[in-house]
Amino acid sequence: MAKKENLNTTGKSDKKLRVKDLIFAGAFGAIYIVVMLVAVMALGMVPILYILTPLFVGIVCATIYELCVLKVHKFGAALILGILFAVTSSSAYLPGMFLAILAAILAELVLLAGKYKSKMMFLISYLVFNLNMVCPFTNLYFNRSKFIAMATEYYGKEYAESVAALATGWLPFLQIGLALVGALIGVIIASALIKKHFEKAGIV
Amino acid sequence: MDLIFYGEDDNSLVKIDPRTKFLIFIGSGIMCFASYSDLGVIIYSVLLCIIFVLCGKKFTALKSALLLGVMLYLRMVLKNSQGAPSVILLLVTALSTVFMFGFPTVMSLLLIIKTTKISQFLAAFQAMHLPVKLIIPIAVFFRFLPTVAEEWNGVRKAMAFRGIIISPVQIICHPWRTIEYMLIPMLFSSISVMEELAAATMARGMDTDIKRSSYEKVKFSVVDYILVAILIGIIVFTTIIGHAAKGGLM
Repeated sequence: MAKKENLNTTGKSDKKLRVKDLIFAGAFGAIYIVVMLVAVMALGMVPILYILTPLFVGIVCATIYELCVLKVHKFGAALILGILFAVTSSSAYLPGMFLAILAAILAELVLLAGKYKSKMMFLISYLVFNLNMVCPFTNLYFNRSKFIAMATEYYGKEYAESVAALATGWLPFLQIGLALVGALIGVIIASALIKKHFEKAGIV
Repeated sequence: MDLIFYGEDDNSLVKIDPRTKFLIFIGSGIMCFASYSDLGVIIYSVLLCIIFVLCGKKFTALKSALLLGVMLYLRMVLKNSQGAPSVILLLVTALSTVFMFGFPTVMSLLLIIKTTKISQFLAAFQAMHLPVKLIIPIAVFFRFLPTVAEEWNGVRKAMAFRGIIISPVQIICHPWRTIEYMLIPMLFSSISVMEELAAATMARGMDTDIKRSSYEKVKFSVVDYILVAILIGIIVFTTIIGHAAKGGLM
């Protein structure tokens, strides 16, 4: 692994996004989305856990996100990841998709504020980034009757009713809170794991 | 590298443009979310199976068509039976629904992955004058999905040798350990694949700003125009039906 170091450090002073960085962003996007989808599909069977997905996805996916932004170290990595996420997961409802992209832009701005050096900012940016997990649910907040009709068709009446019962006015705030808490736990895990494994191997 | 996994269309009957395949993929997304009628999904799935045959993947088409048939039968039986216990009913309904509505998306994704070379994909989108910064992540994204599955399988087998078996019980009892033992090796091996990919693209001169030429000929043929027309027709038709169904429900 140590041998590869001269190959994978593109030079942290190099500001321009090279093809190699684009490849990293796209590939991490694939990993992120596969892990996210597996988590959502496994949890989605049970209504209450479905509501809680921002928490779990935040915990599991934080490591992947952190590794991606730490590896690329330039403007654009979080944005590309966010756009891939938005297009694949929340394209059902257009405003939700734009909100997801907005979350990615904000995360990118947080990284920019830390000048792609500050470790704290890398961690904080995931708190913002993980807000995009709320976006697939915007359909449920703003377009409720359609969502319920869809859930009835998809999973049957009981499932739809139990989701509807949970989806009251405070749900958006609850889920934003969950996303933040999940991201926080995830970030703590991620920084420990990155310190334990990836820094030693000279990957980031 | 398993060639079948990474896409070739040497024995296809007609060459379908990567852009059409991409449109099919987007269309399946719209289908699954905008319309929630069984009929639309079935029509779309059958169309996808036919496209698979046209692309020379007869066995994939046959397998998926059979699977779809079995699931449809199961759904029909479920809808008519009232006596079964509700928990099992709910679970099986949920499973069959996820399968049904996920089917077009997964199939169209497979279509892109299995029958498109990366060079074709890049050439087609470069012909549309899209910026390289947008094309490369998307191309890599599609190229990397099978790799993730492959690495995951590898890690799972390797960990099974050491007596670490991934199961729901394990995840609930030791969530921290599961993340560390499964995710970290997968990320490690994925990163080395990424580095090889990056080196390969460097060797092909992707990093220059000069416009690249390509061996691959990309052109919208008659088949593509017909497919796009059928596609738009189906989507418009089913979304209208979907909304009509919703109107009836309210």
